[in-house]
Amino acid sequence: MEFSELIRTGRAQAQLLRGPEAPPLRGTLCVTGHHLLLSPGPQSTPDLWLLLLRSVDSIEKRVAGDSGTITLRCKDLRVLQLEIEGVEATLDIARSIEALSSLESVITSFPFFYRPKGLRLGDSWHFLPPERYYKRVARETDAWRLSEVNEDFGLCPSYPRAVIVPRAVDDDVLARSARFRQGGRFPVLSYSHAPSGTVLLRSSQPLTGPQKRRCAEDEELLRAVLAGARPGARGFILDTRSAQAAKQARMTGGGTEAKAAYPGWKRLHRPLERGRPLQESFVRLVEACGDPEQSMDRWLSRLEGCRWLAHVKEALSTACLAAQAMEREGACILVHGAEGTDSTLLVTSLAQLILDPMSRTIAGFQELIEREWIQAGHPFQLRCAHSAFSQARPKHEAPTFLLFLDCVWQLGRQFPLSLEFGEGLLLALFEHAYASPFGTFLCNSEKERCLCEVRTRTHSLWSGLNQPKEQRKLRNPLYVLNPLAIWPSVEPQSLRLWQGLFLRWTHPPEPAEVAWEKVWQIVTGREETEGSQPTASA
Amino acid sequence: MASSSTSKYNSHSLENESIKRTSRDGVTRDLSEAIPRLPGETLITDKEVIYICPFNGPIKGRVYITNYRLYLRSLEMDMRNLRFALKQEGHSRRDMFEILTRYAFPLAHSLPLFAFLNEEKFNVDGWTVYNPVEEYRRQGLPNHHWRITFINKCYELCDTYPALLVVPYRASDDDLRRVATFRSRNRIPVLSWIHPENKTVIVRCSQPLVGMSGKRNKDDEKYLDIIRETNRQISKLTIYDARPSVNAVANKATGGGYESDDVYHNAELFFLDIHNIHVMRESLKKVKDIVYPNVEESHWLSSLESTHWLEHIKLVLTGAIQVADKVSSGKSSVLVHCSDGWDRTAQLTSLAMLMLDSFYRSIEGFEILVQKEWISFGHKFSSRIGHGDKNHTDADRSPIFLQFIDCVWQMSKQFPTAFEFNERFLIIILDHLYSCRFGTFLFNCESARERQQVTERTVSLWSLINSNKEKFKNPFYTKEINRVLYPVASMRHLELWVNYYIRWNPRIKQQQPNPVEQRYMELLALRDEYIKRLEELQLANSTKLSEPPTSPSSPSQMMPHVQTHF
Repeated sequence: MEFSELIRTGRAQAQLLRGPEAPPLRGTLCVTGHHLLLSPGPQSTPDLWLLLLRSVDSIEKRVAGDSGTITLRCKDLRVLQLEIEGVEATLDIARSIEALSSLESVITSFPFFYRPKGLRLGDSWHFLPPERYYKRVARETDAWRLSEVNEDFGLCPSYPRAVIVPRAVDDDVLARSARFRQGGRFPVLSYSHAPSGTVLLRSSQPLTGPQKRRCAEDEELLRAVLAGARPGARGFILDTRSAQAAKQARMTGGGTEAKAAYPGWKRLHRPLERGRPLQESFVRLVEACGDPEQSMDRWLSRLEGCRWLAHVKEALSTACLAAQAMEREGACILVHGAEGTDSTLLVTSLAQLILDPMSRTIAGFQELIEREWIQAGHPFQLRCAHSAFSQARPKHEAPTFLLFLDCVWQLGRQFPLSLEFGEGLLLALFEHAYASPFGTFLCNSEKERCLCEVRTRTHSLWSGLNQPKEQRKLRNPLYVLNPLAIWPSVEPQSLRLWQGLFLRWTHPPEPAEVAWEKVWQIVTGREETEGSQPTASA
Repeated sequence: MASSSTSKYNSHSLENESIKRTSRDGVTRDLSEAIPRLPGETLITDKEVIYICPFNGPIKGRVYITNYRLYLRSLEMDMRNLRFALKQEGHSRRDMFEILTRYAFPLAHSLPLFAFLNEEKFNVDGWTVYNPVEEYRRQGLPNHHWRITFINKCYELCDTYPALLVVPYRASDDDLRRVATFRSRNRIPVLSWIHPENKTVIVRCSQPLVGMSGKRNKDDEKYLDIIRETNRQISKLTIYDARPSVNAVANKATGGGYESDDVYHNAELFFLDIHNIHVMRESLKKVKDIVYPNVEESHWLSSLESTHWLEHIKLVLTGAIQVADKVSSGKSSVLVHCSDGWDRTAQLTSLAMLMLDSFYRSIEGFEILVQKEWISFGHKFSSRIGHGDKNHTDADRSPIFLQFIDCVWQMSKQFPTAFEFNERFLIIILDHLYSCRFGTFLFNCESARERQQVTERTVSLWSLINSNKEKFKNPFYTKEINRVLYPVASMRHLELWVNYYIRWNPRIKQQQPNPVEQRYMELLALRDEYIKRLEELQLANSTKLSEPPTSPSSPSQMMPHVQTHF
């Protein structure tokens, strides 16, 4: 496909307004296949302003006289205004942006063209989390094995090629169990907590249906889990739906594990909001944060009305429950909702951050995201197609991953020393999940990424982020390894609005980066001054 | 087990903490004794009790009552002290109750406040922190337009003002006496702060005694004009009346009022809509109701909103920003008053000064600010707090000073590198605002303190703080000269000070505070080393070069930026 067909006008004179902080920028505006460029012209600063078209969430045009205004609302919640000379030019540019920012095809997207200096294709894609993680598990226990039963994605299209399963069950049992679980997502190991000898598993709902079907192999699999854990371990099935919703799911072929069929396992219901209501909560919150007319006296009740912080609380407390059951009660946990690709991952990944000091390092956190979100089949492309500004009715969009990042931010706020990374990394992940020059968050599953050859034809976000020049923005200068579990307080008084994200573009008093930079100076200052000698040269 | 309520898991994380909580405020604990005691503290009685803890349920222990505090030593969980602030009903045996009442409210039982019995010794004397002459000299006073007067040496002009005042050079002492007759409680307009460059000033006073009949006073009118003329460029003097206009009008009925345009031609008056002490008291009461003993859960944010506490904070900050902005722009000098000029006025002048003058953001600078604008200018601490008094429904009580400290905390949240002190510093000030262990906040005004010989007979809170400054330092502090801080006084950027208001509730805490504080101490040490090293390098450089090099992060280059979104 030729992008040029979609570009109505190549260029126009324009002025860019970037909010109250930055000065306006004047120059020549260009639309290319993937970018909007503003070049200020030769006489002034050579700074080129660049916007990835993919990050445009909604566009609004207005014309008056012989000029026009385009308002771009971006997926990272920024709002930009372009004042363009010429009515035709305005309309053409608006149409071009509209067409180019909503291209559906993955292989024409920018990551397939992005070739930054200093990075080599293929770098950092060698992260093979299930395999790598298995090595760690195998050092602690031999109750688990790495199975390649899903080698060709035949058993489960949303799982990676390799999964970690109980050593005692063979691949045929897995295949049978897969048929009994929605989307083939049979129970697999998510995290092994060596100190308590317990494990965290995830899956999708069992397809019991109205007749309450059973599956002997599925039951065998869960039996083997308990047998491989610490002696006498019990199990809890943490269903992220309400008991009623789980029961209702039977009518459409789903359901939940019958008590009698799984001895040793007990079911708990912790309903977490997902899908549409979660997206709507996100939209309402962003609306409230950006509303200049908002009568400020009603801010707190409006914030409460958005329910976002209530979702944060629910997610964190469910993760705490899972972590607590493992560490304190020595129980094994299986988490699932319906499809097992959203709130399930939210709970398993947060529980690991609470329990596992490794996952709180930069490398460990990246691995956690790769393993528990990307490879675990969170459908990023569907969920992050639009952010909070889109006028279109949400179909599959949901800010589950953002909710995860927010929960991590709350952990970081409550435990300022225990995470090796800072807000900068969380903000970067939010931006890149919605629009990115890197291939990491492309597609909905490992299978799709293989079909598109993402690994060989795009750069990995991790190689981009792990460059030395990015480190100061991402690392937490106060970090010290904390070998303990970090139990957050989930009382509403302990949770805050993530200002760094939701109020990022509206007048921050003293940006967090200033304090951050200060800490870096202190922490690294000694070496610097020691390194530099007084110079007398002019 | 896991099916139990989700909140249970975090109660565990606190066990370590309560065990480790040792002396928080420099009290040395002698383990051979039953309880730690301050020099001068004597044990009155002790008894086995069961404390009904609102958070953890009943706890067996022994209660000790001294002439300073109530101490509960738990038999189950090592030590844990409870101050007077936590009154509990679990052991209302009659004699215990009486002893407790007597020592909790000594004034009602003709006993001295503990501050007069306290025999603590410190290696620095906090009473010397504030010397008005030195502070005014730091501001460049006296100068051609402003003079220091001792007219109030014996508190004859105004019994609630300090002995030393700064007034316009051109106003004679007789002028001052005549102006005093027209100002509520004789609190005449006097200088609080002068801008080092543009020479505009912040002046404070009480309301004019206009009354229903609209009385005028030529001397007052002339005096305000003299203040305006101390700065040539100024055509109008700006008057900020802290009250809502309705209240200002209503005050005419009791003889007060405000400066109307048709009488004070060269002045412009604005009302700042800050409510009175009664509204603030009721608002804080509502905050207490939603956080103690049970924390409101299901509708936390809307309950918090309905207390209006943050809204009041917003209005106070907004007012102070306006004062600071006016003075910093050099467009006008500012006169601030409310009714009596000792509550809202003190809040506004001190917060504006904190925004304008980086000196007050250091530990000693802040002590001077409190000593000057609050203590010496007669904020009625004794009436507002009710030290040693049993009448807790007294309408004179109000958390005005607490509200000021809350505003300072909000500012320090928004500018994490601008203040030398940390949150602990603010909390210890508030703890001893109520404790009566130090003389600093006792009595209503300087004249009363002098009569009681407070500086000779009691210890200053600043002695405790300044003898152990490291504990109260912010490791991220960057000293900056001439940077004006404009906090964002929007509801979106204000938050409840959870670490103060809900600090007793174990469920709010996440972590043992120790590692964070320890890391901060390490940072402080690193920073000091870094600064020293940098200075050495600069010194070495400047000896070799004719011009001193600018430091890499020269903070004075930061431009003040106004962000006033209200």
